[in-house]
Parts: sequence; C-alpha cells; structure tokens
Amino acid sequence: MIKLYLTGLMSLTLMLSGCASLENDKRSRLDLIKTRDKLICGVSGKIPGFSFLKSDGSYQGIDIEICKALAAAFLGSPNKVQYRPLTAPERFTAIKTGEIDVLSRNTTFNLSRDSIGGNGLTFAPVVFYDGQGLMVKSNSKITRIEQLNDANICVGSGTTTEQNLNDAFEEKKINYKPIKYQDLNQVVAGYLQGRCKAMTSDRSQLAAARTGFKNPNRHIILNDVLSKEPLAPASIGGDQKLADAVRWVIYSLITAEELDINKANIDKKIKLATEDKSKTSLRRLLGIDPGLGQKIGLSDDFFVNIIKSTGNYGDIYNKHLGKDSNLPIPRGLNNLYSKDGLHIAPPMK
Amino acid sequence: MKKLETISRYIKRNFASSKLDLTINTFLLFIIWSFLVKIIYWIRFNAEWDIVTKNFPLYLFGSYPKAELWRPTLWISVIITLIIVTLSCPRKNNYTKLLPIIWILIVPLGIFLLAGGIGITPVASTDWGGITLTLCLTLSSGLLSLPLGILLAIGRQSNLFAIRKFCKLYIEFMRAMPLIAVLFFGQLLIPIFLPMGLEINRVMRAVLAFSLFTASYIAEDIRGGLQAIPNTQNEAAAALGLDSIQTFQLIIMPQAIKISLPALTNQAIGLLQNTSLMSILGLVEIFGISRSLLANPNFIGKYLEGYVWLACIYWLICTLMALLSKNLESKLNTDNI
Repeated sequence: MIKLYLTGLMSLTLMLSGCASLENDKRSRLDLIKTRDKLICGVSGKIPGFSFLKSDGSYQGIDIEICKALAAAFLGSPNKVQYRPLTAPERFTAIKTGEIDVLSRNTTFNLSRDSIGGNGLTFAPVVFYDGQGLMVKSNSKITRIEQLNDANICVGSGTTTEQNLNDAFEEKKINYKPIKYQDLNQVVAGYLQGRCKAMTSDRSQLAAARTGFKNPNRHIILNDVLSKEPLAPASIGGDQKLADAVRWVIYSLITAEELDINKANIDKKIKLATEDKSKTSLRRLLGIDPGLGQKIGLSDDFFVNIIKSTGNYGDIYNKHLGKDSNLPIPRGLNNLYSKDGLHIAPPMK
Repeated sequence: MKKLETISRYIKRNFASSKLDLTINTFLLFIIWSFLVKIIYWIRFNAEWDIVTKNFPLYLFGSYPKAELWRPTLWISVIITLIIVTLSCPRKNNYTKLLPIIWILIVPLGIFLLAGGIGITPVASTDWGGITLTLCLTLSSGLLSLPLGILLAIGRQSNLFAIRKFCKLYIEFMRAMPLIAVLFFGQLLIPIFLPMGLEINRVMRAVLAFSLFTASYIAEDIRGGLQAIPNTQNEAAAALGLDSIQTFQLIIMPQAIKISLPALTNQAIGLLQNTSLMSILGLVEIFGISRSLLANPNFIGKYLEGYVWLACIYWLICTLMALLSKNLESKLNTDNI
C-alpha cells in the first residue's frame, strides 16, 4: 500500500518537474509582450511626482513615463501600456508570477533584490537618485549641512532615516539634537511649528510634503544628500533579452539628453542625419543605418519612437519634478555627468 | 396656544426638571452647538472641495474607458431604480415575488456590462474602479457567500461524520484567520500555485477570497437561526408526511433565514466596508481611488476633505443597505397578518 502511494507520489513529482522544465525554455517575455501588443507595467499610483491618478483617470509621473518609453520602443506606441497599481509587498510577487512585465514603481536598487539568492530580479539603470535630504526655512540663510551645528532636527523615529542622519552628522563631526516623531506628518507639523531648524526625510518626500505648505517658497531642500536610494525599474531575472531591451531604452533617454535630442528637434535631427552621410553614429542611433535596434530585439527606429513619445530624460524630469512643476526638486544628482550629476549612458554603438 | 403649552411642558419635563438637569443640558447643548458651528464653518469656508468636484467621475467609475461609460452608469441606475422600487413596493403584490430574482440577476448583469464580451467591447478588469468596483465586489461576493454559507451551516448539522467534521473545520479555520491574511493569500499566493500563463484576474481572486471568508461567518449566523427552531416542528412535519428535504426546504429554512436576517445584514455591511482593504492590495476601488488622488500634486494635503467625502459615501451606501434589510424584515414578518 505504502509502496503504491510512494510510486504515485514520485510519478506526480516527475510530472510536475517535467512541466517546470518545459516552462524554462519558453520564449523571452519580450516576444510575449510583442504578441500581446501590450506592455503590462507595475506602478504604485500613490507617489506624488512618480505615479499618481490625474482627474481624467489617467496615470502620470516619472514612473509612468518610463512605461510609456518602453511601450514606444517595444511596440511603437506609448499608449500600448496597461498600468497595474501595486503595493510594496506584492510588487516582487507580481514580477515572479508574470502578472506584470516590468516594474516601474520607485524601487530601490540593492544587492538582495538584484541577486539570485534574494528576489532574483534584474534591475535596469537608475532613473532617479533619491536620497535623504534636509529641508530648512529659506530665511534661516542655511545652505550647507555644516551650518546646522547644534541645531534641532526633526526626524521620524525608528527608521533608517534616523540612522542615516546620525551616520552623516557623526562623520562630519557636527553636533545636533534629534527631535523624534512617529511619522512624516508629525515631523512636518513639528517643523512648521518651529520646534526645529531643519527636518529630514527622502528628498522626493520632502518636496511632496512642501507642496502642501501654505508658503512652499519659503522652504528649501539642501543639496546635501545623507543616504543613497537609487530608484530603478526592474524585470524578471534570467531573461536577458527583455533586460537588455529595458536597459537600453533607459539609456536612450539619457543619451538623448546628452546629445541634446528632444521631442521638438528630433525631426530636424533625422533630416540632418539623412542628408549628411558622414554622421554615422547619429545615423545608427536614429535607425537610418540599421543595426542597433536589431541587436536588442527591437525595431531600428526604437530610439526615434521613444523620443517622439516622451522626450529625453531631462524633459521627463522637468515635466514632473522640474522648476515649473507642482513638485520642484532640484536636479542635483539627477543631472547629467557633464553637469555634476550621476546620469551617464554607455556609448550606444 | 394649547400647542405652545404642550411644547413648553415637554421642554420642562425633558430638559429642565431640576436645576442640575438644566445646567447639564445647557452645557451639553453648548458643546454640541460649538462643535456644529466649527464643523459647518470648516465645511463651508475652510475646506477646499476641488478634490471631490474635479474628480467626481473618477470616484464613480475609476479609470473606466470614456467611450464605454454608459455601461457602469446603466448598471448603477438599474441598482438605484431597483432600490427605490423595493422600498416603495407594497407588501403583497404579484411583482413582489419577482424582486428577489431581479436582485440576484443584478450581479451577472453588472459583470456582463462591466466586462463586456458578447456584443459589446471587452474591458479588462484592471480598468474597473471607484464605486462601481466597490459595488461589484460587495454584490458578487455576497451572492456567492450566501449559498456557500447556508450549505456550510447545513453541513455542520449533518449526520454524516466526514461532512460534519469538514464543515466545522472549515468554519473554525476561516474564522480564526484575519481577513487581510485571506486576501493576501488570494492576491499573492494563488498566482504562484497556478501554472504559468493561466491567470485568474484580480477582481475575481478578491471576490473568491471575500466569499470564502464571509461564508464561514454566514454559516454561523444561519446556524443560529436553525437552532432557534424547535425540534417539534421537525416532528410535526414528519407526521404530515414530508420527507427530510421537504421539511428543510418548506419549514425549517424559511424560518431560519428570517431569524438570522439582522445578523446577515451585519455581514453585508461588514462586507462592503471590508472591500476597502483591497486598496492596500492594489485594486482601485473607491478607497484606492482616494489614496491615488491624494498623491496628485494638485490635491496634496487635502486628506480631511478626501476622507470626509469617503465617509459620507460609505455611510450613504450602508444606510441604503440597512433600509433594504428593514424593508425585507417587515415583508417577511408573519406575526400580525
């Protein structure tokens, strides 16, 4: 009896593992996206500036623009995206189970999420370098972290924020008095009541909180960054074709800014490159000379499609987080490497 | 003149029968008054309601495609009409018998209208949202969980050992789990067990999780009703020559459901409010919509307005449900015919 049971169990396991191995050599997810003619993009939907719901029911923000750029590159149109709002706990499961193709949900890129022993994702290049920052009142004339010597600083307790603050100030040998609160709303309230000279949190969160103030212009976010939170899109690990495509779409956005190609002048650049045969690298990039797109499994005009639908990285940034947006965050680290920022794209050759 | 006298006597008796009484009452009235003034002042002058006025369609339908908006609109208007008809319908009427059937048909109608398919363009469930999605979740889980709950309640009283134990185990197990755990299970774990490619959509997974959870509570409510019916009725039915199924169908069950109706209403209202939990699992039902809108830089910081508005909507829907159940109770009331 037991023998029979065991045999049954073993054959069942064999059958199941057979299924699993069949699944392993399935096609790349990129081909699936193309046959489906729709990119399923996991977003948050609840983060100001990154992804949020507009009054007309559409999503907007930097994370959304990344999805649009990907759809434009893969499928030729920025509208072929289906957004799937995800919460923090379910985002990685959603990638694993194949519910979404790409996760663009301001996710911090770190070792344990990227590795096979951890969440087993593949991260694309960083699209936003967030980091912990400090906000002060502009009439206090404070512009550098060193001027905060012996100041009271409002901070949320029990978070990495508190630890980062301590590390940063200790390293620079600056004295400070932390005033601890339970959550960000209380920190903001304490800061506004004048309990402290500065408050600290992630810079994008500080900027978001500031838009709710009565006089947002009277507060500035210092350029000093206390911790690093590089936010990057991610896709499933072990699918090089998809990962390559995602990676180079994001580099395309940065390359376009480096070369000063944007929505407005792309047609002019195409014309220029078509006429002038000596501009070989530009011709390759714009798909006039074939080759680049094919190598990453996309059409040769993928670069043109991206820029035509979303503009370059700088355009995207300015639209959602730039000076004229509702959520101004100084570009700082998010500038190009040539302007003292961190964004740099490897050569697209 | 006489009327004035009765009013003054009423006031004297109820508010100022002694000096202490008068002081306490004036004090309380003063507190209520000052709160009311503050609240009304805030609603009228301090609050900025643009988060509500500018996003009204979003609250109703979520991101449903613009061209197809007539479908959820139609469904909601059918529901509203049905509520009005049910509430105003006289007690004994030929149409009254049709009402329960129409109420049951509302759910498939809604799913057909929302999802599309035969004859109308299909709309993916990811585009459903707002009050429409809240109602869809509540009604379909309610419809699924009621028969399931009744079956469990009957099963729990069965003479067959295996069935009785299974039902008991299921009910105890489900009741011992927090709803949020069941929902997480539905949203995160079910897709892992399913083979690649096969995908149950998120709304359906939520409905399944809600139904399985609520069914265990409904089973206990119905069991309460079943146990309230004296065994002598069983014996009387047997004496009349009814077999056990007939006894159950004609005598026991109608009475049991009538007894458990208030408890079932409780479950229904609880179910509606529990659907707000889906917003932390990424469905944009009305609560999720609010949270997404609060992240819109145009509406940052309008928490109070957003949530006060939400509270009003939930209150309205729950009150309608309570009215409906009261109406049903009085229709089923056989005490004073």
